[in-house]
Amino acid sequence: MPSSDMSFDPSFAVAVDIGGTFTDISLMDRVSGAVWRAKTASVPSDPSQAFMTGVNMVLEQAGISAQELSGVLHGTTVATNMILEGKGARTALVTTRGFRHVLEIGRQDIPRHANLFTWVKPARPVPADRIHEVDERIGTGGHVLHELDESSVTALVEKLRAQQVEAVAICLLHAYANPGHEKQVARLLRAALPDVAITCSTDVLPVVREFERSLATVLNANVMPGVSTYISRLENRLAEAKASSPLLLMQSNGGVAGTEAIRTAPALTALSGPAAGVVGAVDEAASCGIKDIITVDIGGTSADICLIRDGQVNLTQQGKVGEWPLSLPMVDMVTIGAGGGSIAAVANNTLSVGPNSAGARPGPAAYGHGGVEATVTDAHVTLGNLPHALLGGAMSLDVDAAKAAVTNNVARPLGLTPEDAARGILAIMNNNMVGAVRTVSVERGHDPRDFTLVPFGGAGPLHGCALAELLGIRQVMIPSAPGLLCAAGLLAADMKAEFTRALPMPGPVDQDAGDKILSELTQDAVTWMEHEGIAPDQRSLQARALMRFHGQGGEIALDWGSTAQETEARFRDAHTALYGFILDAPIELVTLRIEAVGKTEPVDSPMLAKTDLPEPLQFQKVIWAEGVVETPIYDRAELGAEAVIKGPAILTQLDTTAIIAPGWVATVHPSGAVLLTKETT
Amino acid sequence: MNKPSRLSEKALCDPVSLEIIRGAIAAAQSEMEALIERTAISAFIREKKDFYTALFDGNGTMAVGSMVPIFGDMTRPVLEKFPMETMQEGDVYWYNDCYGSYGAISHSNDQVLLAPVFRDGRVCAFVMSWAHFADIGGLRPGSISPDATDIFQEGVMIPVTKMIEAGHVNQAVLDIFHRNSRYPDQSEGDMRALMASVELGVRRVGEILDRFGPDVTEDALAQLLERTRNLVRDKMAETFDYGTHSFTDAIDTDGHGNGPFHMRFSLTREKGADGQDRFAFDARDSDDQAPGPVNYLMNKGVPGMALGLFYLGGDPSQVCNAGGPNALDEVLFRKGSFLQPEYPAPLGLRGLTAMRMISAMCGLLNAGGGEAPAANSAYVVNIMRGTYRTKSGALEPYLLADGIGVGYGARATADGIDAVYFVAQENYPVEFLEAGYPVTMRSYGIVADSGGAGRYRGGCGIVREYEILAEETMVAIRIDSVKNPPWGIHGGKSGRHGIAIVNPGTPQELRLDPLSDGNMLKRGDILRIETGGGGGYGHPFDRPAETVLQDVLSGFVTADAARAEYGVVVSEDAIDVPATNALRAKRPETRRFYRQEYVDALV
Repeated sequence: MPSSDMSFDPSFAVAVDIGGTFTDISLMDRVSGAVWRAKTASVPSDPSQAFMTGVNMVLEQAGISAQELSGVLHGTTVATNMILEGKGARTALVTTRGFRHVLEIGRQDIPRHANLFTWVKPARPVPADRIHEVDERIGTGGHVLHELDESSVTALVEKLRAQQVEAVAICLLHAYANPGHEKQVARLLRAALPDVAITCSTDVLPVVREFERSLATVLNANVMPGVSTYISRLENRLAEAKASSPLLLMQSNGGVAGTEAIRTAPALTALSGPAAGVVGAVDEAASCGIKDIITVDIGGTSADICLIRDGQVNLTQQGKVGEWPLSLPMVDMVTIGAGGGSIAAVANNTLSVGPNSAGARPGPAAYGHGGVEATVTDAHVTLGNLPHALLGGAMSLDVDAAKAAVTNNVARPLGLTPEDAARGILAIMNNNMVGAVRTVSVERGHDPRDFTLVPFGGAGPLHGCALAELLGIRQVMIPSAPGLLCAAGLLAADMKAEFTRALPMPGPVDQDAGDKILSELTQDAVTWMEHEGIAPDQRSLQARALMRFHGQGGEIALDWGSTAQETEARFRDAHTALYGFILDAPIELVTLRIEAVGKTEPVDSPMLAKTDLPEPLQFQKVIWAEGVVETPIYDRAELGAEAVIKGPAILTQLDTTAIIAPGWVATVHPSGAVLLTKETT
Repeated sequence: MNKPSRLSEKALCDPVSLEIIRGAIAAAQSEMEALIERTAISAFIREKKDFYTALFDGNGTMAVGSMVPIFGDMTRPVLEKFPMETMQEGDVYWYNDCYGSYGAISHSNDQVLLAPVFRDGRVCAFVMSWAHFADIGGLRPGSISPDATDIFQEGVMIPVTKMIEAGHVNQAVLDIFHRNSRYPDQSEGDMRALMASVELGVRRVGEILDRFGPDVTEDALAQLLERTRNLVRDKMAETFDYGTHSFTDAIDTDGHGNGPFHMRFSLTREKGADGQDRFAFDARDSDDQAPGPVNYLMNKGVPGMALGLFYLGGDPSQVCNAGGPNALDEVLFRKGSFLQPEYPAPLGLRGLTAMRMISAMCGLLNAGGGEAPAANSAYVVNIMRGTYRTKSGALEPYLLADGIGVGYGARATADGIDAVYFVAQENYPVEFLEAGYPVTMRSYGIVADSGGAGRYRGGCGIVREYEILAEETMVAIRIDSVKNPPWGIHGGKSGRHGIAIVNPGTPQELRLDPLSDGNMLKRGDILRIETGGGGGYGHPFDRPAETVLQDVLSGFVTADAARAEYGVVVSEDAIDVPATNALRAKRPETRRFYRQEYVDALV
């Protein structure tokens, strides 16, 4: 049973973020705001092992026992990796008679930017021989055209057994308007196949369009047994350690939820990790009084970019995981294949960077693990942007190998100096990211110059100033622990769940009918909140409407008003803001939603004391566009509040390195974040 | 037309900026597309996604296009009528005039909006958005009918027109246009979406020009153009030896009792006087124009665009631009042929001819010794218009133009694509269709055995079975390649053709003419459409038995066909190895092409 008490007093919460290489752990005393952090190598074969190792590390640091934990928060890539690597459960799909090839046909298109002569349709996550039809038919509006023939379901049982299926997805036509038949099929299959994980489309994505819904259901079923086993392992390890606090998992929507909700809809965790980072960035920006930010999370192979206005994280239902559209609510971010390990290559006299990556092994040439290709990190090393010995002495960089990689792969083929080649690699990398920032900002009607750039992840703070210059952004915030922001985000995250219903038929706003649906959804939401033990004063519910002009394909989400006129006016305003025009056409309400939130109280973190500006650790030659400068390197841990450092300078800390470019000034905020501003000339 | 290579001189735009500009223009194009998709009103655009965008340099040469070999030279018709020096900032030009644009667009439903981008007081670039409008008047709802006999029956024609002059909209011309549509609200909404997308494109390209300067940007586009042109010419020289290479393909009919219509393509490579290779494309021997609307007014840029796309392959670092068309030194058509018809011949169904053109280009490449795909089937369209009874009992008109995917040709290293319509064009989901139109779908699936047998199987077609809920409806069907099925190559066999049947399996069963209009159906009728598959590639006996088994279990190949075509015996969901070995020991002889029989050449 999940705990019924979520009050945080006295209150130690631990957050565990498992990445491909490292597992990051943060323990926070929510009363004092004190934080203990640890990092341990991930164990891909059994991530729960590193999970518990890390939890024990921080418990020891803080000198407390597992019993004293009041919350265990976790961001996981288990579901994502199973989808990307095709290693989920052996899954079958049950569909309506006549529609067995729903996945094979998909939307019957060759993708817009693919080549019709060479494109190969990707293999579906469930092959057609494991897609089975049942006799039933629901029509538009949810009307039953043919009752379910139960014998066609029982006839499947032997087939499913023979196919050694571990999970079954059920997606019947128009189930979003009437889930009756899906529930009936699920009941029959559960009774006959008790060991098989079973998912109905209406439990995952109750919205119109059968291909996208089938796919989401299949992916959910696919990861269900794996995620469930994984959660059980975590719970067992926590139980062994006598921790009785609830385990909460990060979802793609930036909120956490209890294990029961995640077991039902594990696909909700597909973007768990990146979402946690965004929440962490929002939280730290708030402690500096900043509400409008653009986050750039740069890791080894990819970068996630997200825009947050007025402290509100936007969600999208048009996300993708790998090749597949996954129409579940996710933090609206753009991911591009550009990171510190991205490989720069020249073909046809053209320099390109990424999407290929040197990965963790061999990694960049500078890491000395035998990498010979030129990566973004090698470009930084060539220019002197990274201290030659990383702090803590854990690792020293092979400067010669980095230069050789840049020279051989880029400089020589293009006839450039190694320094110009390195600058070129970074220029292209930065430009790729600028494109992604535009996608989340200008394309959605926001001017990036009105925002603070928050670079994080292992490689983010190296690019902050350069990206800001390209975008005309005047302020950059480097979080206090840029490499550990996901764990920080877990500690700051609210609990979240959405309760959605598509209208049987889209149409004009009917206030009474809408209110009625919303009150039913509200009941579901309250039941969930009680189950999760969310205290009444931490609860909030928001009614949202998804609307469009009659005929349009995309909906805009907005707050439900107290009258139809009010809601429709909000829609028209939102359409104008997004697209610059409105139509003289009927407005349709498509979907209603209750967004339920259990607020996590903000914690007053301890403030940094003021200290004198420390001496630099050392000086290093850095090749800036303006010329070579003996550039000071500061240890960030020695910087006190209100310390001011004029660029050029380098800040080094355990989890990352930040560049203060010439023309920029860094000021340490009492919260620990560093604010960079462009000097006015 | 061919500028001297700039790569030898000191280029203005360095390789790094070049890559950045390439990325920036591609991003601008994506933004324009996303805006259309989100805001357009008609199902044709926002659900089926029949729209494309492109950017052009200051001369009007295409700098980045869409990945479809159907574009022509979009700017020439505008520049002929509105010379560069008369253009102003904030202008937007518009046309759908096929003959007036030399086939830049090739049926009147496609509306082109083109806007100049100014910097330093001169035109430095153009942006374009283009979309298929659901109804622009004409003989029948949807403006496209197999019954059409001239272009006047295919809707209102807009010669090149200044829709917006320096920011002032010519509302009268828009009003006239929308008034000519049976669905003016859709017309208006879609036009707003197109206008907003070119405005966005102008802003984005302007930002690129500000950032890099017009000269560097211009040089970058010139370099990208040159890069594509050189790549296409180098690869053409690898495929085609000196001499003339020919291939002939055909469409069945024009729907008026005429046909087949042969397209006869040849490519000649010779040494020019300057010692450089000369490549000439010649389609003059193609058959005379058709009375029915299957004529394809082929722009001179199209053959080079098709060759360019083939040679660019899926390489993301290459740009689909006018370098493909520029790679050909000469393109020859004959006026009065069905690829260059005389005004006012009807053009509405040119899509099926364009699809056959793509397979004929593949045939030409194969005839020259290249490794191009086998023939694709031509996508199928089912247009229904009629009346249905609303809940209140009133009769309402409706129009449904349902594009149905087909199988594409197998490749040297991969199966043909199953069940796709075209690049970027999506289906109407069943749940969407039933909510908006008076039909119930009885099935939507893969047609087993429709893909041509081969080491690599041709893509399979689709079955879509509708129950008519309208009181009455008139159906236009567009299915080609019944008499001339998509050919296979190197031992691969033909794809199967499509078919349209009313009330199948009943005494009232009626097989519809594959290219016909005026088919009257009433409430309760069943319409079953099966579309064709693509040709196969390589000997079917070389297809691994396990792969054939998977095809059988997944409903792509029947057990009977596995035995007859592939020599694989499947019994009880498993391979019968001895029986398979025995069958495969008797390996049939093959020849180079297969269309209903093995032949050495299709000429």
